[in-house]
Amino acid sequence: MGDPVVDAPAASNGEKAPGKAPRIDGRRLRSERTRRLIVEAYMALVRENAQMPTAVQIAERAGYSVRSIFERFPDLTALRVAVTDHAIAEARASAALRDLDASRATRITSQVDQRAKTCERWLPLWRVLSADSSQSPDLHQRITVIRQLIIMRMEMMFKPELSAMADSDRRKIVLALESITTFESWARMRELYGLSVEEASTVWVRAIDRLLPAASS
Amino acid sequence: MGIELQGAPISKPPRIDGRRLRSERTKQLIIEAFLSLLRDNSQMPTAVQIAERAGYSVRSIFERFPDLNALRVAATDYQLAQALALAPPRGADGNRETRLRSQVNTRAHTCERGVALWRVLLQFADQDPTGQLKQRIARARETTVGRIELMYRAELSTVPEDERRQLLIALEALTDMESWARMREQHGLSFDEACEVWIHAIDRLLPATSGCDGRGSLS
Repeated sequence: MGDPVVDAPAASNGEKAPGKAPRIDGRRLRSERTRRLIVEAYMALVRENAQMPTAVQIAERAGYSVRSIFERFPDLTALRVAVTDHAIAEARASAALRDLDASRATRITSQVDQRAKTCERWLPLWRVLSADSSQSPDLHQRITVIRQLIIMRMEMMFKPELSAMADSDRRKIVLALESITTFESWARMRELYGLSVEEASTVWVRAIDRLLPAASS
Repeated sequence: MGIELQGAPISKPPRIDGRRLRSERTKQLIIEAFLSLLRDNSQMPTAVQIAERAGYSVRSIFERFPDLNALRVAATDYQLAQALALAPPRGADGNRETRLRSQVNTRAHTCERGVALWRVLLQFADQDPTGQLKQRIARARETTVGRIELMYRAELSTVPEDERRQLLIALEALTDMESWARMREQHGLSFDEACEVWIHAIDRLLPATSGCDGRGSLS
């Protein structure tokens, strides 16, 4: 992520000068703000059109010139990487772990609700970001991080059940849970089969309930 | 058709159109070159690469396929036909374990061979003005779901219709091409290990088996 935008001036001996207010670098602040607006413009365009926007479209939406974009991002792939970082941070902030100590049924419902909301909100962006991600090592690494975060969340939510299993079986179940609750799985239910959010959530709740063993006592 | 000779009709052997045969063979070699490049590089090859691999000129490609989209459609038809020919439903009348192993093995081989093409189809489907790629994607999915229904009829028939539908959707997601690719590419599982993940999970998802074989889950 970006460097801090507030710099404290250093004393000659390398220590901070006491009592002096930190100097705000206005130019840097503006530049950070421009970056953020470009990233937000990209995300808004993807949500509206479900496809990768052009530099011209992004510039128009953000209210800057195309040159401004390429002054801050060497190419559109670098911008995609920045958008992914922004999305990961936003998704993490809005998807706090809840109901960890609740009953099995509550935890399954809570996990599915959260995952469904994430898929509803981020599916268009996920499609654009993950398309051709293998062509960019940075992007590929972010996609891997997102998948790992999804798995870690499930492991925490279903710890009582998963900890009751042998390592090899636990791994199989975690991989199966991951496959069943992917963005693509959600998209198929909503777009291809025409299921409502509630109906699609019920499919996941039932499948997870069948996959998970009884909790350890 | 035939000619009269001494009162008895003698059928004339069908005339083989050599030029047409050669043209069909060239088409097939171009399709095979396209598929082999896809498997090697996991991305849409260029016309020059395809021509080079097939041993023909770029012009030869476009004499047979008006554009690369037409080649993608033809390659998909070829691969779908090959998948069906190589994987007829086996063991559909077997016990639960036999059916599970048979279905997973077939699906795993299909995914192993087809994931590169599948990704290209998904990538280009929205840009295809003819809608043919979307048709093929839909057909491939219907075939996959139809196979699941056939192989697990003894289990799926024991639950109400809405539950059966939900199970089918979950089984489809579980055995998706990308699910296979993730296990193999991202999690580094061997072919057999990845099959075991699916077998274990399907066994847990399916209800008890109805009828005479009297088997419940594998575990």
